[in-house]
Amino acid sequence: MKKGIHLACLIDDDPVYVNLIKKIIRKRGLCDELIVFSNGQIALDYFRNRFAEAKADLIPELIFLDINMPIMDGWDFLENFIEIKNTFGKKIVLYVVSSSINPVDLERAKSYELVSDYLIKPITFSELENIFRRNSA
Amino acid sequence: MLQNQLFDQVLKDFNTPYWVISSEMGNEEWSSSFLESLGYTSDPATQNFTYFLDHMLHPEDREVFYDKYKTYHAEGAEFKHYVRIKNYRGTYKLFRISTREELPIDIQSDVKLLFFFEVMIEKAAESLRKDNFYYKETAEMTATGSWYVDFVNKKSYWDFETRRILEYPEDYVPSLSQSASYYASAYRQQAADLFFNCAVAGKRFDTEIKMLTATEREFWVRAIGKPVYNEQKEIIGIRGVFQDIDDQKEKELGLRQSIEIIENQNSRLSNFAHIVSHNLRSHSSNLSLLVQLIETIDDQEEKVNLIDDIKDISTSLNTTIEHLNEIVTIHTNAGQKLESVSFRKTLDTIQGSIRHIIASGQTKIETDFQVKEIQYVPAYLESIFLNLITNAIKYKHPDRDAKVCIRTYTKKGVTILEVSDNGQGIDLDQFGDKVFGMYKTFHYNKDAVGIGLFMTRNQIESLGGTIGIESEVDKGTKFTITFDKSKENIKDKTE
Repeated sequence: MKKGIHLACLIDDDPVYVNLIKKIIRKRGLCDELIVFSNGQIALDYFRNRFAEAKADLIPELIFLDINMPIMDGWDFLENFIEIKNTFGKKIVLYVVSSSINPVDLERAKSYELVSDYLIKPITFSELENIFRRNSA
Repeated sequence: MLQNQLFDQVLKDFNTPYWVISSEMGNEEWSSSFLESLGYTSDPATQNFTYFLDHMLHPEDREVFYDKYKTYHAEGAEFKHYVRIKNYRGTYKLFRISTREELPIDIQSDVKLLFFFEVMIEKAAESLRKDNFYYKETAEMTATGSWYVDFVNKKSYWDFETRRILEYPEDYVPSLSQSASYYASAYRQQAADLFFNCAVAGKRFDTEIKMLTATEREFWVRAIGKPVYNEQKEIIGIRGVFQDIDDQKEKELGLRQSIEIIENQNSRLSNFAHIVSHNLRSHSSNLSLLVQLIETIDDQEEKVNLIDDIKDISTSLNTTIEHLNEIVTIHTNAGQKLESVSFRKTLDTIQGSIRHIIASGQTKIETDFQVKEIQYVPAYLESIFLNLITNAIKYKHPDRDAKVCIRTYTKKGVTILEVSDNGQGIDLDQFGDKVFGMYKTFHYNKDAVGIGLFMTRNQIESLGGTIGIESEVDKGTKFTITFDKSKENIKDKTE
């Protein structure tokens, strides 16, 4: 039997969106725990520390990353994350989720090997469920 | 009779009227072309020496001709003389009468000959006058002057039109050593290069260049030049034309400027469309997520709880639309009339309205207005001051009171406004291209909305200006606003 996702991560500055996603995940029981960061910088700081401490259970299996955020946006986060990601063995799946339909953004996201897919907001329930199911260990 | 065939042939080919002189004066043999050229038919009554002297030769020319001819006949003294001979219509034509020395080839002949060369003086003058007329008309109507630079004699030659378009007097002698002074200072090097390449490498040129008239007026010219070679294929000069294309060039530049403005507006518009699309999408997608969530919930109470989420979405949607409205207002305001706005008065107004904020930060504002006022939209200048000053206060350094320096000055005729502070500064390597973006904030500051600088930039750009930023973390930030000079010029022209 497949084991579900334990820890997922949401990096997004829109509190309304974050609140809704939280509710959906809880409602559907898509994962045990969800950690949320309101911009790339906070998320990056978190990952830097956890990687350094090598705390595998605090590293999410799944990351949903927004592009347009203050302080540090999604692109800058990706650039920085690439550098630290490989220092740790755990498999992390990352999706870019944005309301931008600009093809430039789409192409740019696909240029990162790290990015599994580019999802345009709004994401549907079934899309969300599929992603969680597909990436279950 | 002519003594040899060759001579006969040459005379025929030459087709010049002539007389064969007889041993007895008055018994000359006239070539058929002699009478033909004058339009007479061959009539023995008119074909004799006496008739020629009395009726055909101009009375004033009679005496001299007779003397010379007599001497030639008697002693063989070669001569050359101009006479007027009447044609059958009764009008005189000019002939150059000459003995054999004028023949194209030197042929010894046993007989003496007398040639009559018609001088097409009127025709030649007429045709020259016509050519000259057309040349002058063409030169004037196209404002094209020609010139020649003579390397051998180290001299320049200009035609009347070159002098006219360069506004020099008719008797002006162009100077080769001063030739740089005929070009606008910014184009002297280019002109020197063109002439050098033409003189040394024989490279022709055809270019647009700015010249300088005698009255120091700059104007656009199409300059074409090509090398002139001697028989040894050495370059001995440059010949060419200057065409005054100032009107066309000004139109072209105006057109290019309009295109730039349109391109600018277009890119701002497309940028705006992206902003609208993105900002509205985030709300609509939240709404759609919420609907999906509601659909999966059966419990009534739980559903009611979600009304708060609807309120959240509604509030943020309204805020977004307010912001978008503000931007649209800028774009629709862009065409509004500019007024003379005083920097000092505008600043006083702003300082009055944000008195409390200024006081709370112990803010000190220093000013140096070298430029007192500017043609601008008053509300925009207020907004620029408001945003930059409140920004400086909002992001003041925690260890010191805020100090804002505001100064205006001109650089190359363009008005510049500088607003610098001693605040936290911002890491431009990290945020440089995003400072003026919408909803971009870079500090953990709860007041940060990320709309102020975006609006400021839009307002400045909508009036053709630019805004730049220099900053150093912990030292401070300097905003430099460059106002559009041409905007005021365009306005002057259209009014």
